[in-house]
Amino acid sequence: MNKKTNIFKDPYPIIFLLFFIYPIIPFIGKFRTLGAELLIWCIFALSFNLVLGYAGLPSFGHGAFYGVGTYAVALTIMHFYSKGVIIPLIIAAFFGGLFTFFYGYLIKKKRGIYFALLTVAFSQILYVIGFRWDEVTGGETGITSLKIGTFLGIELKNPLYLYYFIFFVFVISLIIIRKIANSPVGQILRALKQDEKRAQYLGFNTEKYVWYIFTVSGIFAGLAGGLYCILYSSAFADTLHWVKSGDVVMATLLGGGLVNFYGPIVGSVIFIIAREFLSAFWDNWMLLYGLSFVIIILFIPTGLLGIVENIKERKHRDSLNNGNNNLTMNEKDKPAKILTKEGNDGPIKD
Amino acid sequence: MNVSLVLALFFNGIVLGLIYAVVAVGFSLVLGVAQVINFSHGLLFAFGAYFFWSISSVAGFWIALFLSPILVAMMGLCIELLLIRRVYGQDPLFGLLITFGFALAMEEVIRMVWGKVAYSVSTPMFARGQLFIGDIIYSKYRIILAVFSLLILLLVWWVITRTSFGAIIKAGMFDSEMISALGHNLPLLRTGIFVIGAFLAGLAGVIAAPLWSIKSGMGTDILMPAFIIALIGGLGSIKGTIIAGLLVGTVTSLAVLFIPRFTDILPYLMLIVVLFYKPKGLFGEVTILGEVREE
Repeated sequence: MNKKTNIFKDPYPIIFLLFFIYPIIPFIGKFRTLGAELLIWCIFALSFNLVLGYAGLPSFGHGAFYGVGTYAVALTIMHFYSKGVIIPLIIAAFFGGLFTFFYGYLIKKKRGIYFALLTVAFSQILYVIGFRWDEVTGGETGITSLKIGTFLGIELKNPLYLYYFIFFVFVISLIIIRKIANSPVGQILRALKQDEKRAQYLGFNTEKYVWYIFTVSGIFAGLAGGLYCILYSSAFADTLHWVKSGDVVMATLLGGGLVNFYGPIVGSVIFIIAREFLSAFWDNWMLLYGLSFVIIILFIPTGLLGIVENIKERKHRDSLNNGNNNLTMNEKDKPAKILTKEGNDGPIKD
Repeated sequence: MNVSLVLALFFNGIVLGLIYAVVAVGFSLVLGVAQVINFSHGLLFAFGAYFFWSISSVAGFWIALFLSPILVAMMGLCIELLLIRRVYGQDPLFGLLITFGFALAMEEVIRMVWGKVAYSVSTPMFARGQLFIGDIIYSKYRIILAVFSLLILLLVWWVITRTSFGAIIKAGMFDSEMISALGHNLPLLRTGIFVIGAFLAGLAGVIAAPLWSIKSGMGTDILMPAFIIALIGGLGSIKGTIIAGLLVGTVTSLAVLFIPRFTDILPYLMLIVVLFYKPKGLFGEVTILGEVREE
């Protein structure tokens, strides 16, 4: 396989390049805050997709961990440390991870509908705390007009610097998340998604991996939330509400997180831009927003990249049917589960 | 502490709990038989209240009381046939998201049709005034409301536990494949359950309308308590749902005396405690959903 196809299969350098030159793209490049929010959402959706797309766990409360991140940064800056931004962000990631670590312990054994129910219920606890605990979280009004510190001595008041700082965090996060997704753990999670019993028979402690990936996902969700707080220098309880958790699920599904690692990025970009424009021009945009859930679930459940993949697969199958090119048969088309004579499953190693 | 105040709060809690239970029973039945987390259940509750407001201003109280839940049930029928039917047997997130999206869209429709202002419905003539129970003065309407909700809940409980239709429903929660193998029409059963759930949600919206103000967000507000109560009571258990409803209602109502600002959080804490000791909920039975693997 040559390098060109490689880049299209795993196009993170292209994504980095696109976001790097974003501020000079005509028309849209002017909206630096929008660009920064896109990056934040990409981190958030990528982290969420570790749970949904890789482990196949229907979490519907991820907004809460994002919200925890925003409050962690806001409170740290307000009370303890306001010089730099790195320490508040680390604290945000830590608390995002701490909460998912705790929740993960409680729900690692649940699957399917029960898992979804409990993630909704637990995330709602954080919302009530954020909304009611006025002394600490500012209650309904939230925490506003924070003084954001510097990064390596660079003032982040300039939107361009802020954009590139968030871009920098995005690059690091994407590389780490991609590494985790392609690691053996990622493989085990995919096995778990297909057939958990089988994965257990192979000797994997699937509950441990669910717990692990849920925690990792929470760390990055907290980090994304922390960046959001730095971007808007404020934190609101709204981000913790379960209705908001729908956003990230929507973005992930829309892009095709179920079939492709980069689905969440495609979805986030389309979702955020569409939301910005619709809400600016149409008061009742929520109508379209709600209906788009229905349309996606009914007609394109695998998302936009899923459609692309389907077309590719169909073309590939056609070329096979034409009788030529049998050698191009790739991993996916090989029969995956071969029963050997002993009744064991076929080759497991790789 | 003032005893009559405590008693009044306690009664308020019971009324609240019974309304919650009526909503939660429908939610729980749909969850059990159709295996869909129905996020549009709160919306049906809101529509019950709005229909009641509109119809009662034109045609009077009794016709509105009769007509609104039926209209909501018909809405439920449409939702089931057009949307939820398509996601049976798929990832649970799909059912959740499709009802969630639909509820968001319809909430916007409510805002477009009825506007953003909150409405209030006056209590019907026959239910106005107070009753004296010992030293306590208590609103007549709340008592009528409590009795009415209790009757509905008992009726549902009787149907589920004592009739052959109820037996099929319960069997559907245990093993839906088996009941279709035994010759029962599973899709029809699911549709029926959804319509019944919608009817109950609409009815709860109607009877709660004079008590609370009618606003577009009321569906979202009632969804979480209903959800929590269904989980605490144990999925599929009517008895458990009623008891959990009363428990949540009275505890949150009485907690106003001690921690006025954090009453909303108590149902969630109760949920965590219950699930920690009894993963299937208080009276939960083994259902398909209850794939809670215990050590």
